[in-house]
Amino acid sequence: MKKWISIIITLFFALGIFSTTGMAAKKKMSDITIGITGFNWGVDSYQTTYEKAFVRHCKKRGVNCIKLDPKGDAALQANHVEDLIQKKVDVIIIWPVSGKGIIPAVRKANAANIPVLVTNSPIDPSGEPLTKGFCGPDNVLEGRYAGEMMAEAMKGKGKVVEIMGFPGYVTATERSQGFHDALKKFPGIEIIETQPGNWDRMKSQKVMENFLVKYGPEDFNGVYVADDNMGMGAVNALKAAGRIKDVIVTSACMFGEGYDAMGRGEIYGTVYQSPTSDGQIAVDTAIKVALGEDIPKKNFFETPKVTHRIVHLFIKPPF
Amino acid sequence: MHAVSSNLFSFGKRQGLVLAFILLLAIISFFAPRFLTYRNIMLVLTQVAIMGVMACGLTLMLIGGNFDLSIGSQLSLSTVIVVSLHDKIGPLPAIAIALVVGCGIGAINGYLVGFQKLTSLIVTLGMLPVVQALTLIYSGGTYSQIANPEAPFSFIGRGFLWGIPMPFIIFAVTAIVFGVILQKTIFGRRLYAVGGNRVGSWFAGVRDDWVIFFTFVITGLTAAMGGIMMGSRLMSAQNYLGKDYELTVLSAVILGGTSLYGGSGGIFKTVIGVLILGFLANGFIHLGLPYYTQMLAQWVIIIAAVWLDVKGKKGES
Amino acid sequence: MKSKQLNIIEMFKKQPVWFILLSSTILFSVLSGDFLTIRNLSNIVLQSSILGIMAVGMTGLMISGYFDISVGSILALTAAVAVSITGYSIPLAIAATLLCGIILGVINGILVTKAKVNAFIVTLAAMVGVRGLVYVYTGEREIIGLATEFEYLAAGKVAFIPIPIIIWVITIVVAEWALRKTVYGRNAYAIGGDAEATKNAGVPIDKYILGFFMLNGFLVAIAGLVLASRLNAATPTLGIGQEMLVIISVVLGGTKLTGGYGNMIKTVAGVLTIGMIQNGLNILNVHHFYSMLIMGAIFIFVIFMDAKLSKVK
Repeated sequence: MKKWISIIITLFFALGIFSTTGMAAKKKMSDITIGITGFNWGVDSYQTTYEKAFVRHCKKRGVNCIKLDPKGDAALQANHVEDLIQKKVDVIIIWPVSGKGIIPAVRKANAANIPVLVTNSPIDPSGEPLTKGFCGPDNVLEGRYAGEMMAEAMKGKGKVVEIMGFPGYVTATERSQGFHDALKKFPGIEIIETQPGNWDRMKSQKVMENFLVKYGPEDFNGVYVADDNMGMGAVNALKAAGRIKDVIVTSACMFGEGYDAMGRGEIYGTVYQSPTSDGQIAVDTAIKVALGEDIPKKNFFETPKVTHRIVHLFIKPPF
Repeated sequence: MHAVSSNLFSFGKRQGLVLAFILLLAIISFFAPRFLTYRNIMLVLTQVAIMGVMACGLTLMLIGGNFDLSIGSQLSLSTVIVVSLHDKIGPLPAIAIALVVGCGIGAINGYLVGFQKLTSLIVTLGMLPVVQALTLIYSGGTYSQIANPEAPFSFIGRGFLWGIPMPFIIFAVTAIVFGVILQKTIFGRRLYAVGGNRVGSWFAGVRDDWVIFFTFVITGLTAAMGGIMMGSRLMSAQNYLGKDYELTVLSAVILGGTSLYGGSGGIFKTVIGVLILGFLANGFIHLGLPYYTQMLAQWVIIIAAVWLDVKGKKGES
Repeated sequence: MKSKQLNIIEMFKKQPVWFILLSSTILFSVLSGDFLTIRNLSNIVLQSSILGIMAVGMTGLMISGYFDISVGSILALTAAVAVSITGYSIPLAIAATLLCGIILGVINGILVTKAKVNAFIVTLAAMVGVRGLVYVYTGEREIIGLATEFEYLAAGKVAFIPIPIIIWVITIVVAEWALRKTVYGRNAYAIGGDAEATKNAGVPIDKYILGFFMLNGFLVAIAGLVLASRLNAATPTLGIGQEMLVIISVVLGGTKLTGGYGNMIKTVAGVLTIGMIQNGLNILNVHHFYSMLIMGAIFIFVIFMDAKLSKVK
């Protein structure tokens, strides 16, 4: 009798195990389609590298992907989410142009039972419960690192001008905010002026040139740029004005040219943010979501500080 | 006595734009001590050079009665071409190719507008995304960079000749050459005729299709020159460097009084328009205005400047 | 029977845009099973509605011989105004938004008619200045709408038709009726055709032009309401570049920039063509660099064909 009961119980369990693995194994990689609506794919090398890494990784893992480009337009991105719902993709990844404005579209995706993942730029906190999670860099932290490095280089005392990204876009706002937050701890350092560089090297070079005329050598000794692309514009201007030696430059995101500039001592410190990691993690996390696995709400990838002293320990970014 | 003063007065009214310019400089320098210094003036002259060169080309275009909205994308393309080819085939061939491509795209525009008689505004509005897409496809979306930032090529954008920045010399030479073309050559006279009355000039035997064709080649050429100067100033290139540039250049030309309808205008006033926009942008930073205040101020100032100019002209008739 | 066929070919010849619209629809349906579904086509029309409403205003302005390139910035400001007030009162938000659009339109109109500054400079300066207002009003950040009910305007349906489409259709019908059946419409064409002669005939053209700028602003404000409802948020960077898209769709449809010719039906064709092709290229996963190239090439092709075929007459 006992033997029969134990056999029946074992069979029961065995069936149970088989049915759950059966459900998970049902989805093949080649059946999975990931839809992503980006930010503005062609506009800078970071996004281009992200895109390439994303596509490469999708191929490597054997999943299909659909890539859409909203060209920085929040309304167009809402359209894209609808289009991806229409194509019945398994997961929708959004790199939000507007973290607040994308929420109604995310609700539509939920209504259609398609899970949503957010990459690189965050969605508004009120929209977080609607998504499966976020994966990307922590822009505020990056700004803070840049601020800490500035304080370290200035030994707690100095004056800084800031060249920020494109105003109104969350990456620009967060990187600026992080920098300002970090410097609150160092009352000896003052941010004397902020002007936008719009992620454009020519614009940022002009802004820097104008700063250098408006302010004399005793008026500022530091520049914070939101990324190395704009940073190179600032470096150009500083070199032309002969002030590259006495002005400290920190940036919130390393680019290949910034790597070289740091090697030459022109940039003091920046933050290593790999678009390849950004893209790959998005793919990996999306696949997990498509397979029904649980993922943590926030998946930040590491963005370490890099100063000119340790830059040689890092590989030059390919963008 | 009375005659002299009224003559001066009417002359002054006609020069409404120049007066607005001087007024602007005076007001800004009152609040910003380092604004009217030699160093700053030289800086602004460098900063406006690219816009200035392209504005000279666009002035010819507008006088001939047409538009070219593709020059912004052409600027992006030529910058990317010259920078990406510099390390591969050398600075001079890279410059040559950029110029040829610029003229080539201008030729396509010129063919469509001059010979096929399509409306220029629309053709170039369509060429804008086409040329931008070609830039993106050519570069694959990536940056280009010249490995050695001190290479001789940088002289174009950063060098000095007799103490004057090279870009400004290029701008000045271009302005003088184009001014001469407009005033002293048959091409210039034909351009005014065609712009003023295309049908009438056709009857008068002017081959307007070739005239218009060449205006587009010219704007393509000036956009390529702008790209070479830009590439030299930055020693690198991004894909959207020229975005919205066509609007800035167009506003400089129109600010300068060249008519949207063709047949009138000149290089001198365009140069004033370019300088106004350049000193304004620079002056805003000297005044420490946040960017949104700059935008609001631009709204008021540009309209005021044109209004002053229009009023001055009205007083004439 | 034969004359009916000839008529359709005539229509294609006169308005190449219809030809493009039809052929691209066929092409996309063949290449992808997802294209010709009711849901997708409904999406296309819905997504085109914001552009479409703005294009109604721009068409009216262009018929009278003018244009307004500040509409992208006006769109952003009206959307921001809408979203900031819906939390307190939706009717008040709607009223304030429409008023905002009207005021901006009037400012542009006065500068063009009274100060005699040309429309390009007036609206170019406004494009920059109003954008500055947007940054100031939003405090350089995104604002989120506090009333979820407001999303109903863009997401809701009446008799299975999405509300934005209904709004768009109403604006088209009213505008087209006004153009064809009222003296205001006739005068719009007259002013666009020959402003001097119309003035000499005793028509107060300045008042008319001011009116068209005001109506344009009003319609952009309506589009701003729909946009605000769709996102239930507003960012300072909304609408950047939209003015070019509006002008392109109106011109694609066949309305002439020089004035005196065009109508709303043509504009609808232009707007739908753009929406159709954008959607189709997305569904086919065409790389975005190439879709930009294709859109520009189609535009040039259409005006090329238009010029060629109108010669054949």
